[in-house]
Order: sequence, then structure tokens, then C-alpha cells
Amino acid sequence: MSFIKTYIERQTLNRRTMLLMSAYGLFGAAATAGLRPGPARAAASNGPRIAWSYRDRTNPYWNAIVSGGNAFVQSLGLPQSALINLINEGSSEKSLSDIQSLLARYGSGVALAVDPNDMPNCRPVVEAVSKAGAYVSTIWNKTDDLHPWDFGDHYVSHMTWSDVGPSEQTARVLFDAMGGKGGVVHLGGIASNNPAIERLAGFRNALKAYPNIQLLAVQAADWDTQKANQVMSGFLTRYGDSIKGVHCASDTMAYGVIEALRAEGIEDMPVVSYDGNPQAVELVTKGKILATVFTNPYWAGGITASLAYYAASGAFKPSAEPHEHREFYGPTTLVTTKDAQDFKARYIDTNPQYDWKNFWALARGQIRYG
Amino acid sequence: MNRFLATDALRKWVPLLVLVGLCLFFTALNPNFLSLRNFARIAISSSPALMVAIGVTFVILMGSIDLSMEGTVAVCAVVFALILNALGGTIAGRGWVALPAALLVGAALGAINGIVHVKLRIPSFMASLSLGFVGIGLSLLITGGDRILIDDPPFRSLLTVRVEGFPLMAYAALACLLVAWFIQDHTTVGRNFYAVGGGEDLARASGLNVGRLRIIGFVLAGVFYALGAIFAVARLGIAETETGRNFMFMSITSVVVGGTALRGGEGGVWNTLVGVLIVNVIGNGMVVIGLADYFQDGVLGLLVIAAVYLSTDRRSLSFVK
Repeated sequence: MSFIKTYIERQTLNRRTMLLMSAYGLFGAAATAGLRPGPARAAASNGPRIAWSYRDRTNPYWNAIVSGGNAFVQSLGLPQSALINLINEGSSEKSLSDIQSLLARYGSGVALAVDPNDMPNCRPVVEAVSKAGAYVSTIWNKTDDLHPWDFGDHYVSHMTWSDVGPSEQTARVLFDAMGGKGGVVHLGGIASNNPAIERLAGFRNALKAYPNIQLLAVQAADWDTQKANQVMSGFLTRYGDSIKGVHCASDTMAYGVIEALRAEGIEDMPVVSYDGNPQAVELVTKGKILATVFTNPYWAGGITASLAYYAASGAFKPSAEPHEHREFYGPTTLVTTKDAQDFKARYIDTNPQYDWKNFWALARGQIRYG
Repeated sequence: MNRFLATDALRKWVPLLVLVGLCLFFTALNPNFLSLRNFARIAISSSPALMVAIGVTFVILMGSIDLSMEGTVAVCAVVFALILNALGGTIAGRGWVALPAALLVGAALGAINGIVHVKLRIPSFMASLSLGFVGIGLSLLITGGDRILIDDPPFRSLLTVRVEGFPLMAYAALACLLVAWFIQDHTTVGRNFYAVGGGEDLARASGLNVGRLRIIGFVLAGVFYALGAIFAVARLGIAETETGRNFMFMSITSVVVGGTALRGGEGGVWNTLVGVLIVNVIGNGMVVIGLADYFQDGVLGLLVIAAVYLSTDRRSLSFVK
């Protein structure tokens, strides 16, 4: 009769997989998890369940976040499938409801790493987790009046990146490459996104120091390669040869810009971008992009999950930590044509071995408001 | 004005007049708009969109709708890029196999779409929308969310090599348009699309196998989506899940703006060409005249409504749904 027992066991697992379907977002991920269930889940059931909630998998940035998360769960001796992926597809409602389902299923035994998608969504997420007695670490989106220390131990930490300074640095690299004069255009992200606002602000700061650089236009291309391509073609018609340099708020948009230039036979236009994606770093080594900024999403993905996990497992007590360990800036590294080769070898071709218990190794100080 | 527009002969030309009007409008605000180089830029952004829009034109002519294009384009682009890179990375060598392979994948996805719609009797709207999501999921599964780069000079010559100021891509798209026009006007299948769209009961009563025809229509659409995918990859040198993004809005809008009726039986691929050009001229023109970006989406929507209003004879519609 053992086959009946096996059958029932498998059905139970399938039901669980079904419940998590929305969480996985992808039937593919669910299928692979369903195909090899046993040991992974058994092992994970000893400690807190580790989950990462983020926007999507079509973006190299979030892929890097997830690979960091995977590396962290592997450091615990668990398989990658032990990391529960909650994909919100850019919807705050889905982000919150997935997390609530997860909490309903596992209660206090959850260590959650999350980008709440937009700032107002952070509070309900944190409150839900805290009410369930689980543990959460957030990145990027949080309102200024919300602080981890107001929730005791359950809101472990928040990490964000200040993009103003690094964006100013890329702008300076660009303006220097232009010889300090000529027209420049800026392609920005979705206008209401915090990184888009900060990166534009950094660009404008740099403009002040270069009086002979003329700002021709600022236009949102929504982080999108195709849209950036079309916007750049429009710019070429509008400004023609007056454009001497292009400042992009993300790598994905820079790819579209470079292709729009290539279509016109323009191969040597100075272009800078942001994010430090592998393909962009590759382009920096070739001089196609002059500079990009690496925010180390791999480390961020791992360390955010690690903070929530070790707080949940009791390895450290968040409320005993100073404020600078609960709200801090993540690392930013300017990658230019000079150091791109070296950088690529260290961070892109391989990922450095990080000590996931050294939580604040790459942190850049407490978050400042105002 | 209304009587003037009501004459059928003139109404047929309204989309073209809208296109010319838009060009004059943008030229008046920025003379740079009216230049060969700018038209070449519009041609580049129009070529992939034209292929996808032609594909959905066939389906709309039958009175159905196909919303699977984003998924199909993504899968075809990714499969094309993977095969090309696996077989040496250049279409000058064995990599050419990737071209027919992508078309086959497009046809297969179209066939699944059509079969689900016809055999399971699911409305084409729902069947194709769902399969579009499956397509996006499938392309994510294949790529794991990564981008595949295509840097094959012979293939990218579609973008980089120019004849008479226009890139090869524009001529290739034009050739595909002629093929589509031939299918539409000079084959039984093409004529039958109109028959089904104009009156399915009549077509059925005269012995036409409507189910089979619908499946053929979806297969044909799938092949054109694949062509769109190939042009999209040629344009950016990147194949990824995002390659399919925005094609749904772009293609359906183009078809309708071009004067093809959503209820079927009226319009055709030439209308679609005009529609695609209208949408892309608007997109390009708004940047060229320097319209603030927070206005652009709203203005695009309003211009689309205006274009549809001008190009459809509403008095011939007994009801609007």
C-alpha cells in the first residue's frame, strides 16, 4: 500500500505548490520545484522560511538580487529552491497579498527580504510581518517616517542607495569626455521613481560646474530599451549634430541609445549610464559606454535575506544594534573605462565570496533625511 | 463636413490624409521633421511594428482578435537568438537556420492559439490573451530573465546598411507587406478572411470550413509576429522577454487607426501600413517638437481617438460595443 502513501504525500506537496503558484509567479519555477520536492523542503523546515519579494525576472538587476539570495541560502547548506520567490510584477497590491499569504502559511517562521515596490506599501508590509511575529528586511522603498527601530526586532533593517552623488560622477566623466563643452541630453527613468529623480538631480548638480555644457533636453524613457531607442532617434532629428554627449539614468536605456546611434553610423558619441549590469560593464571595457555605477545587487540580495534570516533564527538581536545598522546606504562603485577590465574580472565573471554574517561590511553609513 | 466624409470613396483615404496632416503639423513646428534622415528613423521604428500589425490584421479581418503578440514575439526573438548563437552566431554560416526556425515557432504558437480558440470554443480575446502570458512565461523560462546579445554583422546589416538613405530593414518589411497583400487579395484564404469577417453565417452556409480558416488565420499571424521579432532583434541587437513589450497596444492601435474595422470584413494590410506610420509618426514627432514627456502619453491617446473618429463611418454601425 506504500504507493498510496506516496501518492498522498505527493498530492499534499502539489497542493502546497499550487498555493505558492502565485508566489512563484512562473509556472516554470513551480514545475521545477514540484519535480524535486522532498529533501529541499524537509531541510528548509528546520529553520525560518526565507523569501524574497521583488518586481520581476525580466530585469538583470533583479536577477542579480535573486542570485545573491540564492547564494545566501546555499551558504546555509540549503538548495536554491529553498528560497521562496514572490514576484509582484510592479503591483503593490500583489506584493502585499503574496506576503500575507506567505505569513498565513508559515506564521512567525518567515524571514522576508523585500522591495515593497513603492514607498507607501512599505508600512502595510512591515506591519503585517511584525503582527505575525516574523522578520523583514527591506530595500529601496520606504517612507521617511517609518523606521525599523519603531518595530522592535521584527523590522530588522532597511537599505537604500543614494544615487545623487554617483550620478553626478558619471555626468562629470561625460562632460570631461566632451571636452567641457557642447550639447547634452538626459534619458531618465519613470519620472515618479525615486532613483530617476535622484539620478537627474545628480546630473543637474554636475551641470552647474560646467558652464559651457548646454542642456538640450531631459526626457523620460521609462527604463526601457526600445523606448530609449525611439527617444534617441527623435533627439537626433531635433538636435542633430548639436548632441555631443548622452547621460542615461540606466544601462537598459543606454543600450537603446547606442543602437539608435549605430543605426546612424555614429560610433564615438560619449555615453554614460547607471546600474553596472554585466552587459554594460562589457561595453565600458570596449569604450562604448564611458562610465556606469555598480550598486552590487548580488551582495544586496544576499545580505538582505541574511539579515532577516539571522534575526529570525536569533543569531543577533536587531534592537540591540545601533541605528546605523538598521537604516543604511548600500555600496556604489563608479566603473570607468580605466578600471572596467579589472572590475569585470572581480565582480562580473565571478562573484566574490561574501561572508553573509558580516552584515554591514559594505554599508555606507546611516541614511540621512531632508 | 459629415456628408463630405460619408462618401465611401473619400473615407477610404482619410487615414492617409490624417498621416499627411500629422506630417505637415510636425514639420510646421520643427522643419527638421521633414528630412530623409528622420523618415529613415521612423522607418526603423515602424518595421517590427508593421510586421506584428499585419499579423493581427488578418485575425481582425476575420472578426476575431489576437492579443498573444507580446508573448509570441518574445518567444520567437529568444528562440531565434539562441539558435543563431548556437549555430556559429552568424546568418552567413549555418546560423541562417534560425530564420526559418523562428518563423516555425511563430506558426506553431499561432496554431496553438487558433486550435484553443476554435476547438475549445474559447473566445479569441481570452484564448490569445492567456496564451500571450504563457508565451511571456515561456520566454522567461528559456532565458532565465537574461538578455541574449546578437552582434552578427551580416544580420545587423538590416539596420546598419542603407540603400537610398533607408536601412535594409525597411525594404525587407516592404517586401513582407507585398507578400501579405498578395495573400490578402490574390488567394482563396485571403478572400475567405473577408467572407468570414463580413458575415460568418453566410460563409458557413456556403460551405466554408470556418474553423479551419480561423486556425490558418492565427498561424499566418504567428508567422508575421515572428518576422516582427526578427526585425526587433535586428533593431536593438538584443533578444529578451522585454522584446515583445508594447507590441499589443502598438499593433491593435495601428490596425484600428488605419481604418480596419474591429468587427471584421473591412480594411486590409495597406490600411495597416498607414496606421503603423501614423502611430510611429506621432511617437517620433512628439519628441521632435519637444513636447514635455508628461504630455506625450495623453496626447498619443487623444490623437488615436481623433484618428479613429475620422476614419470610421459611425452611421453604418448599428451599435458600438
